[in-house]
Amino acid sequence: MTIAFYLLFSWLMVTAKTRRHVVALTLVGTVGAALIAPRPVMAQLSLTTAIQSVLDIVNGAIQEALDTINAVRGAIRAFYQRLVWPVNLINQARAQVTEMIGQYRQRMRDIFESDVGSATLAATGQLEAVLRNRQTSDFNAVTAHFRNAFGLIPTETAASPEDRAMTDMDDALAMGSLKTLKASDVAVDLTLDAADELEDVASEAAPGSAPFLTAAAVVASIQSQALTQKMLAAELRQEAARVAHENAERKRLATNTGRLGDQILKLLKRD
Amino acid sequence: MKEKYGKTMDGVKRGLRWAWSHKIRVGVLALVLALITPRPVKTQFFDPCCAIMGAGLSSISNALNDVIGGGLGSILSIEQEIFDFERRIVWPEDLIDEAKGLVGSLRGIYSQIESLTQIPVNSATLAITQQLEQNLLSRDSTQIGQTSSYYAAVYGPVPSPTAAPAQVRNVIDMTDAVAQAAMKRAIEIDHLATLELEAADRINRSIQTAAPGSAPIIEAQAAAWLIRANAYTQAATADLMRVRAIDLAGAAAEVKSGATYNSALGQQLIDLLKRQ
Repeated sequence: MTIAFYLLFSWLMVTAKTRRHVVALTLVGTVGAALIAPRPVMAQLSLTTAIQSVLDIVNGAIQEALDTINAVRGAIRAFYQRLVWPVNLINQARAQVTEMIGQYRQRMRDIFESDVGSATLAATGQLEAVLRNRQTSDFNAVTAHFRNAFGLIPTETAASPEDRAMTDMDDALAMGSLKTLKASDVAVDLTLDAADELEDVASEAAPGSAPFLTAAAVVASIQSQALTQKMLAAELRQEAARVAHENAERKRLATNTGRLGDQILKLLKRD
Repeated sequence: MKEKYGKTMDGVKRGLRWAWSHKIRVGVLALVLALITPRPVKTQFFDPCCAIMGAGLSSISNALNDVIGGGLGSILSIEQEIFDFERRIVWPEDLIDEAKGLVGSLRGIYSQIESLTQIPVNSATLAITQQLEQNLLSRDSTQIGQTSSYYAAVYGPVPSPTAAPAQVRNVIDMTDAVAQAAMKRAIEIDHLATLELEAADRINRSIQTAAPGSAPIIEAQAAAWLIRANAYTQAATADLMRVRAIDLAGAAAEVKSGATYNSALGQQLIDLLKRQ
């Protein structure tokens, strides 16, 4: 475009007829040249100043930022290693668990398993043995030995229906509780096993695996609580039956006392 | 040849004469040519400006390597150390797996315990007592509706107003009420305990698939269940205490009514003897 412009301009200038043409072409030419001539590029700063400013940024702001990040990450590392999860304290906690296992577990087991049997007669000795043998496969033996020790329900001719019903209910709930307690004894042993297992794993746990153990321990507590509730339910049934029995006797006594009073009064009136 | 040279020289002389006679035009053409001519480009290798730029870029490269590269290298090293520490000490995968394995083992133990609670413990031999016993051991709170009738069949109803004084009937009715309530509560507690064992097993299953970050959430849920279980235990204990309290009150009432009854009977006997 520049060459074409220059050729055209030269031709017009050479062929110009008058001085006025020359002046006009001169004006047009200079203005045109000024418009199409490439502009010189002017730098904002000198090259060395620009390079120095980049170096200043790298050595100043960026280095400072990296140093700060480095210092913060270093502080976090120290915080984790010295305050949050100090390896020496983690090992100390594990050692404490192991030490307490050695110190208490067997001792407590021995105390718990010491014999508390106290019956002196054959019949009661058998019952006591079956009640404390921590088995659930011999509930029939409980019934048999219980009846040996506490007697059978009176026959229909030997007692009133009310007395037979009440003694049967009393015996049933007493035996029910005794069988529940045999099951509960086994459950206690299993619960102690669970506690031992938890403690064993705790002795080599890490901070990251401990939440699983604590969660499992809490769940085990729920289960223990549920078993306690089942025992409490048995106790409630038993206590309720005892009170109901006493109340039934009260009902009978009240009725009989009323009848007796009436009969005494009638007798006295006749005299 | 000589002729051709002569013509060229004539042309040049004519051109110079024209240029001399049109000095302004030639000047304008030269000016415009100067204006529109492109500027020379500086070479990469021989210009001093490029040497400065090269040295500058080299300095920048060194600074980037030393300052940024070195800084990032230090950060990476610390990050690596933190990662190793957390992986080996804080969250070691093998110990996490071991803890999950323990939960599986505990589930096995509690499954045995749950089956122990299912063993039948019924022992009644008569029809009416078997009915009541079955109801009491049902672990089903929907059967509470039948408890009162089965209870009355075994322990008898409250005496009629003609059969016993009002005071005695009150004591009997209250004692029956608390005994029946305790039996009903026992059925409820049995039912609740069964549900708690079920929920506990479900929570244990979720612990087995949990992550160290989600296990505390499950633990919180388990803690909530434990609190709930404690509340039910307290409710059962409260009912037990109520039974014992009413029992004690009944014993005291017997002493009171016995004294009143004896006094009234004595007075009646005196009146009768006086009349005769």
